[in-house]
Amino acid sequence: MKNNIRVERAIKNITQAELAELIGVSRQTINTIESNRYVPSTVLALKIARVFGKPVEDIFSLDNED
Amino acid sequence: MKSRFLFPHWFRYLGLALFLIHIPIVMFKKEMGFNMHDEPVSDHLFNSHHIFFMTTTLLMAIGLFFIAFAKERIEDEQIFKLRLDSLQWAIYVNYILLVVSLILSKDTEHILFLNLLVPLVFFIVRFRWKIFQNNRLINKEEGQA
Repeated sequence: MKNNIRVERAIKNITQAELAELIGVSRQTINTIESNRYVPSTVLALKIARVFGKPVEDIFSLDNED
Repeated sequence: MKSRFLFPHWFRYLGLALFLIHIPIVMFKKEMGFNMHDEPVSDHLFNSHHIFFMTTTLLMAIGLFFIAFAKERIEDEQIFKLRLDSLQWAIYVNYILLVVSLILSKDTEHILFLNLLVPLVFFIVRFRWKIFQNNRLINKEEGQA
């Protein structure tokens, strides 16, 4: 699964730590999601999407391997 | 995220303390008059050797148990997955070692002891290593930025 959290963060001008605090996870978790080492649960994906005020599909998309 | 069956964060330090306490006790058992291999062992269940062995083993096992299953400062789903992955690894390694030692050795007492130690120790090492790796990657990114 691919995501563009890094881009969205840049647009909203918030750091990994700030995003982590907004959704109640650790900064490491945001980092592992951004670098595609961890696939978040649906709940977490929805929370991230809510922070950016966009539908989940705008932030997460399926990869060829999925 | 709700996490079940985990101890509070400070149990990690309690566990570490228990584990560290057990080391000098085991190291100086001869000086304390508990030399298990020299004297004939009585069959009585609660003889001094048995109690010594039980106490030190329990100190160690409970200490490791607390270290392994204390909550992280921020216990989220990614940590939960790491925990589960590491547990799976620990079980694999434990059973591989168990099978190998059953084939190659008849020393059941030490096999039992190994079986008590390996899953917890391997779990802790693997889990901590993965967390360390995650932190290192963050620091590396910060260095680039």
